[in-house]
Amino acid sequence: MVQTAAWVTSLVFMSLVFVVYAVVAWKSREKSDYEQVKKKWTKARKIYATSLVTVLLVVCIYTLRELPYDLPIYGDDQDPTVVDVEAVQFGWIMSETEFKVGEPIEFDVTSSDVTHGFGIYDEDMTIIAQTQAMPEYTNTVYITFTKPGTYKILCMEYCGLAHHYMVSEITVTE
Amino acid sequence: MSTAIENKKLKSNNKLVSTSLLLGGVLIAVMMIFGILMLLAQGGVIDVSDAAFYQFLTIHGTGMVGAAALAAAGVMWYFLNRYVELSKKIFIWFLGLVLIGVVLVVIGVFSFKYASAWTFLYPLPAISANAWGVTGALLYLFGMLILGTGFLLLYIDTGRAIIKKYGSLGKGLGWDVLSGKKKVSDAPPKAVVASTMVTIVNTTALIAGAAVLIMNIINVINPSFTFDPMLAKNLTYAFGHIFANAIIYMGVIVVYELLPKYANRPWAVSKLFLVAWTMSTAFTLVIYTHHMLMDFAMPKWMLIMGQALSYANGLPVLVVTAYGALMVVYKSGIKWDMASGLAFLSMFGWTVGVVPAVVDATIVVNHVMHNTKWVPGHFHMYMGLGAVVMLFSFTYYLAKIDSNVKESKLDKIAFWCYAIAMFAISAQFLVSGALSTPRRWAIHYPGWMTPAVFGAIAGVFLVIATTIFIIHFVRYLKNRGTVGSGLNEQKPA
Ligand code: HEM
Ligand SMILES: [Cu+2]
Ligand SMILES: [Cu+2]
Repeated sequence: MVQTAAWVTSLVFMSLVFVVYAVVAWKSREKSDYEQVKKKWTKARKIYATSLVTVLLVVCIYTLRELPYDLPIYGDDQDPTVVDVEAVQFGWIMSETEFKVGEPIEFDVTSSDVTHGFGIYDEDMTIIAQTQAMPEYTNTVYITFTKPGTYKILCMEYCGLAHHYMVSEITVTE
Repeated sequence: MSTAIENKKLKSNNKLVSTSLLLGGVLIAVMMIFGILMLLAQGGVIDVSDAAFYQFLTIHGTGMVGAAALAAAGVMWYFLNRYVELSKKIFIWFLGLVLIGVVLVVIGVFSFKYASAWTFLYPLPAISANAWGVTGALLYLFGMLILGTGFLLLYIDTGRAIIKKYGSLGKGLGWDVLSGKKKVSDAPPKAVVASTMVTIVNTTALIAGAAVLIMNIINVINPSFTFDPMLAKNLTYAFGHIFANAIIYMGVIVVYELLPKYANRPWAVSKLFLVAWTMSTAFTLVIYTHHMLMDFAMPKWMLIMGQALSYANGLPVLVVTAYGALMVVYKSGIKWDMASGLAFLSMFGWTVGVVPAVVDATIVVNHVMHNTKWVPGHFHMYMGLGAVVMLFSFTYYLAKIDSNVKESKLDKIAFWCYAIAMFAISAQFLVSGALSTPRRWAIHYPGWMTPAVFGAIAGVFLVIATTIFIIHFVRYLKNRGTVGSGLNEQKPA
């Protein structure tokens, strides 16, 4: 799950930062010649900077391979179901709300008043996809449900006082 | 110039700068209370009406960013004024306009129920589903416009003064040193480089902000006047992202000035330092697009650049500023007190906050993290544990050099209380984000409540710590000038 990966990655690197600062604070009680400290750690910085840039570059390129914006490649016999989604203060108007597992779906999301956010939550209330619902624009979410169940649509962009009531349901069957 | 006159001038400057810090500090403490109320409501502990919750959200966001920027501008002005000649009159105008802006915003929100959140995303100010009317919207939008005008005036003055002394803003960033026309030893001081960066980015931000505010104002008055919501969104986030980020670039001047002094080690400007600040200038201007990663209608290359440049934006701080600060402190036998301790803590807060920010700037992560509580998680870390800590580092520093008010054990307790509580609040947001809790939701489902309650409890400790910081500063204000010199300020680090 993406959330878990994000959380674990953040935790690891945040702990690393903490340890570095703690060690430096601890060692600040010793006193040694600045020229030597500078010489040693300026050299170390080259290695640190090089590895940091390398890691960031690799992760950046790796995570850019598959983007939610891209049209998936459908098989010959696959015809995606196109669903019109219109957000209004404060509800979701959807041309279809019942789907099958394995059915490729394209949610064409727009809004007729202010900006809303179209967020799809699974049965465990974990968000699995989203896009902005903008007036005058249409954003498409490509999704194929792999598990049956009742999914929820939550509003993900503050749109007025009933923002948190702007919830709808869709069902996915085998 | 005789030292007596010079001294008097410094004194009255201290008074002006103190005003911005006191105002900012108190506003921050008050806004924290609204933060706690929101968490208690989300945690199901207290009942807050939907209207009240979103008013709290609007005032907390606007107030925190505004107050922190106000105080940080004071810090920047204080140090920059040592190297270039700034206009005191303009600073007074700046304070006055900000104050008027704040009053209008508060009236708009609490008396006229205006609650668009501080990002006032077009066309929400005009289309509120009858939650607020034209008056509330106009009070808020004009308030922001006046506040922004105050800041713009200030940056025009800093820009003017930097150009007068160094020739151009490019030279303020040390480009003539980078191109080899000037020796590194003649490079502008760190405070000037940072101020130049902030002058450039915030002038841009404020112009973008003014444009979108004016467009919103016209739309509120005459709804038949409409404009492209995507353009409005770009302008809004260009303004919001840059302006909020510039706070830490103003605040970090404290770290640059204090740590070398306390560690008794030089922290010289190098070419790498200048490169880092030029990178920060460029990146800060363009990476606001990472707020629009879920706008699939944006040009794809802009969003990919949004991710890539956001990653790159971590480099100047990770490789140069934080690393430099650590080198200055490491085995230095530095004298720790409140000012130096807070300066060090703020660098930790900034660095650690880079991590969840970079993670969220990854498009595939943003797809499930955008507008969840992960977002406030990362910026409470970087603002609350970074920028705001820099401000209080400065207030303790000022108290030290310009009065005989002593730090007590209570201040030390407040230090640890603040550090732990602010970290807990940020972590609580991150956990909520990982649990898919949407941000800006007045109520939470039962599975999402626990972190919010935890955060509210931490918030109480944070308010206590912040109050102790402010009390120390107020005691300084009452005893200002009792050391009688402020002269140790004369020799720059
Ligand atoms: C006691 C300390 C604090 C508490 C309890 C607190 C709590 C909160 C809460 C509950 C929210 C709304 C979260 C949501 O979207 O559901 C929020 C948003 C925010 N906070 Fe804080 N906060 C605190 C300190 C700070 C500080 C120090 C700053 C910055 C200087 C800050 C800046 C913001 C901003 C800019 C927002 C976004 C408002 C929006 O979404 O429109 N907060 N805070
Ligand atoms: Cu909505
Ligand atoms: Cu909404």
